[in-house]
Amino acid sequence: MKKIAILILLIFAEAQAEQVKINLWHQMLYSNRVVLREVCDAYEKQNPNVKIQLTYRETEELRSNFQSSAMGGSGPELIYGPSDQVGPFASMEIIKPLDEFFDAEFFKQFDPNAVVKLNGKTWMVGDMVGNHLMLIYNKELLPNPPQNTDELIEFGKNQTKDTDGDGKIDNYGLVWNFTEPFFYVPWLGGFGSWFFTETNQPNLNTPQNIEGFKFIKSLRDEHKIVPKECDYEVANALFKSGKAAMIINGDWSWGDYTDAKIDFGIARIPLVSQTSLYPNPLVGTKGYSINSNVSDKKIKPTLDLLRHLTSKEVQLKFTEKVNLMPSNLEARKDSLVLKNEILRQSAFVMEVGKPMPVVPEIRAVWDALRTQYQAVLGGNRTPEEGAKLSQANAEKQIREMNEILKPNEQATVIKWLFPVLFLLALVFGKRHFTEFLRDLKKNSFAYFMAFPAFFGIFAVIVYPFFYNLLISVSNFSLRTFQGWEVIGFQNYLTVFQEDVFYTVLWKTVLWTAVNLLFHVSLGVFLAVLINRTLPAKKILRTLLIIPWAVPQYITALTWRGMFNQEYGAINLALSKFFAMTPVQWLSQPFEAFSACVVTNIWLGFPFMMVIALGGLQSIPQELYEAARVDGATKWQQFWKITLPMLKPVMIPAITLGTIWTFNNINVVWLVSNAGEPSDQTHILVSYVYKAAFNLYRYGYAAALSMVIFLILLVFGVFFLRKTKATDSVY
Amino acid sequence: MKIKNTEKWLIFTFLSVFTLATIYPVLNVIGISLRTDNAFQSKSLAFVEFDEPFEDTNGNKTRDENEKFTDENNNQKWDEGSSLKSFETLFTETSFLLWAWNSFLITLVVTLTGVVLASTCGYALSRFNFKGKQFGMVSLMTTQMFPATMLLLPFFIILSKLGLINSYLGLIIIYSSTALPFCIWQMKGYYDTIPQALEESARLDGCSRFSAFYKIILPLSAPALVITALFSFMASWSEYVVAAVVLQDPELYTLPLGLKSFQASLATQWGLYAAGALVVSVPVTVLFVALAKYLVSGLTLGSVKG
Repeated sequence: MKKIAILILLIFAEAQAEQVKINLWHQMLYSNRVVLREVCDAYEKQNPNVKIQLTYRETEELRSNFQSSAMGGSGPELIYGPSDQVGPFASMEIIKPLDEFFDAEFFKQFDPNAVVKLNGKTWMVGDMVGNHLMLIYNKELLPNPPQNTDELIEFGKNQTKDTDGDGKIDNYGLVWNFTEPFFYVPWLGGFGSWFFTETNQPNLNTPQNIEGFKFIKSLRDEHKIVPKECDYEVANALFKSGKAAMIINGDWSWGDYTDAKIDFGIARIPLVSQTSLYPNPLVGTKGYSINSNVSDKKIKPTLDLLRHLTSKEVQLKFTEKVNLMPSNLEARKDSLVLKNEILRQSAFVMEVGKPMPVVPEIRAVWDALRTQYQAVLGGNRTPEEGAKLSQANAEKQIREMNEILKPNEQATVIKWLFPVLFLLALVFGKRHFTEFLRDLKKNSFAYFMAFPAFFGIFAVIVYPFFYNLLISVSNFSLRTFQGWEVIGFQNYLTVFQEDVFYTVLWKTVLWTAVNLLFHVSLGVFLAVLINRTLPAKKILRTLLIIPWAVPQYITALTWRGMFNQEYGAINLALSKFFAMTPVQWLSQPFEAFSACVVTNIWLGFPFMMVIALGGLQSIPQELYEAARVDGATKWQQFWKITLPMLKPVMIPAITLGTIWTFNNINVVWLVSNAGEPSDQTHILVSYVYKAAFNLYRYGYAAALSMVIFLILLVFGVFFLRKTKATDSVY
Repeated sequence: MKIKNTEKWLIFTFLSVFTLATIYPVLNVIGISLRTDNAFQSKSLAFVEFDEPFEDTNGNKTRDENEKFTDENNNQKWDEGSSLKSFETLFTETSFLLWAWNSFLITLVVTLTGVVLASTCGYALSRFNFKGKQFGMVSLMTTQMFPATMLLLPFFIILSKLGLINSYLGLIIIYSSTALPFCIWQMKGYYDTIPQALEESARLDGCSRFSAFYKIILPLSAPALVITALFSFMASWSEYVVAAVVLQDPELYTLPLGLKSFQASLATQWGLYAAGALVVSVPVTVLFVALAKYLVSGLTLGSVKG
């Protein structure tokens, strides 16, 4: 009896101990997620002690969230994503090298492209190969794809037409997200060079790059076979609705086109006629890496799961369901792959592909190229200047990214400064403190009432604030992720030395001022109009509040769509009612910035309107009656009564509104697609975000955000003081 | 009298046109949610198609007509390629209801916390002169000044040290605190307009300080409390960035997190996304409508002294 009890206990304990939960973060497309869940469910059934939790994050967010959580010492056991995330992750040492767990035999079963190496170690095992660009054509419009660029232009011209004879083009020969460097660099190969050398250096100041810039421009301006403004969504929508004969897009888009019932074919991006070379799409992989924080206890089941997820069977399942090209060489021989027509074509495209670089420097290259390339396309730079500057900027950004600032004498000062300041605060605060204690007894009720809220607010804000303060005097960056140290005030120096700070600051001030001006004037104006007996007053009031109620992340994107040069509602309205020529809202710096401002005005005026409405209703009617008796006109009443009486109501709203607008990252980020064109639409906060999360310059970003804080603090104190002074006048 | 009437109708027409222009982007979102081809831009493309005949027939009509036309355009699309499929999928095939429930729970707690803390703290700031009051008032505002994106990393570090990742508690604390400063200011302003004599007489009748506040002042402040509740509600209902850092278990997702999962780089489920966003904004709009009466008086009466 005793034995059985022990046995049961043992089994129970065993089962308890073995119950493992494995977290997997991924960025799979919607349809792929379904397959992944099925695969994991099947795995859980076979291994009842394992539970797999899947978490989806969009690619960029996956990267930044994983960085944050790995830093905090946690995070998922497995992370799945594109190969280029290996660069930063490996540099930050937040993923484990896989060589210590798997032998050469294991890696040998995969396409070498899917075994991602950096600095001599293996960091990721891919379950697919692809992610490459190709020419996708609508077979109904174009039976055969063009073989070279001459044909591309010829076919393109034939397919670009104005079907209803209104002088506007309805169908385009070619569409693609051509302003994005990823969608441009294949052409560099076609012109005979490559944007990145084997020693991981940018190679952008080349005659071939200049040729490439000119070529894309000529497709748009000279041959007119691509729309003037064409981001990914526009291109995709045109192709899906049969209004574009060809699109350059990746393998991920096939499912979308199948759903849209487009009969499409796949071909290589056409041969460049001048050089007889094929453009080289970047071929990457997506795969699994292991978090460096995985505990010893969990490592075995994690490895087991990784092995399963990259196995032939699982890969074939993805092939069957979502047309993924397996990385497993055995799986490639399976009939599921061999008989798949799309994959066969895709493999043919891949033959001219080049591997996607994984080093972190690639981000700097993309960034520098994007800025100059968009400036060239917008006509603000010659191709020659663009090529030169993109090379120079890429080199500069790589230098900044890899720079490890050394501590100088200031570091010692800072280390002493903190405790000294603390002591000083104690000494000088003593008097205040004793007064406080005395006051505490007298006003205990007040403290009792005020304390919980203040405690909550400060608990949340204090630690992050000091953390940032510390980071801002440190060399925290990509290369020092695991061991940063206090270095001194260099980051602040960099902030103030760079011209870009002053440009962006000026734009931010302009942004805030224009927005506030319109928020307040529009808000007050509408409130005055609506604050009288009107038919359907309540309905109007409710409808006007709607911009505030619908989540910003969708309305901001809608506005971006409305600003499109050819298809956007705004240009259509402008050309109809004011006979204006279409404005290039999204591809010219000033216009793009205006687009952001317009969107934000729309989002912000309801708040001010509601506040002003409330203020209006509290103005005693007798004042107006008295004014009327004195013979004041409506206009005079507005200036002499309404506005002054609204002032005390509006001041706090304006103060907070200014701060919120100054720090409003959403609109700029969504409407201008993260600062496009050419990083010309940034305000300070979006610039900070980019420095921290895209370029890994945490120290610099923290210093800049401290500067933002100080600017607002000075403004706030000044403004409040000023308005308080005016308050007492009344 | 006649002039007044024309003026009224002029203003009404202007406001109607302006309102239609204002809700046009939202109509766009509705359009996307009704499209069957899951494309973000289609609506504007459809606009092109139907645009031309309109110009011929009504060339010189006002903007008002144009907006109406857009409505008809919507209707036309309804007959052709539109459907409620996105909404159906949203409720049947995704965990939308679970997310909604999670969001509701969190928002409820945040709103209650916000109301309790802001009403008490605002009262203290309004009625008492205590040490550190000025400092407190100003520092409330300064908390709004730091770029929120830079707070994420430290937020995460501290929450994971406290074991609050994947828990609602962490989220609730952060949400409550972010909404509080505005609410406290707001409450304080409102209390300022209520004469102190009210409590004094209550105290003479033997009320304790707290019950004077609780029984006399609080009921009088209903409009301001409603605003506080509404702001706390807004702060948590559609917040995404912090939630994305704190919540990783899909079972715990809030609405904005769930919605974002329809969005993938280069392959967004636009139909579902738009439908979801619309459903998310329904409670907010309903609240606004229901509370409009208080909204107008509560938000600002407070700040007007005398």
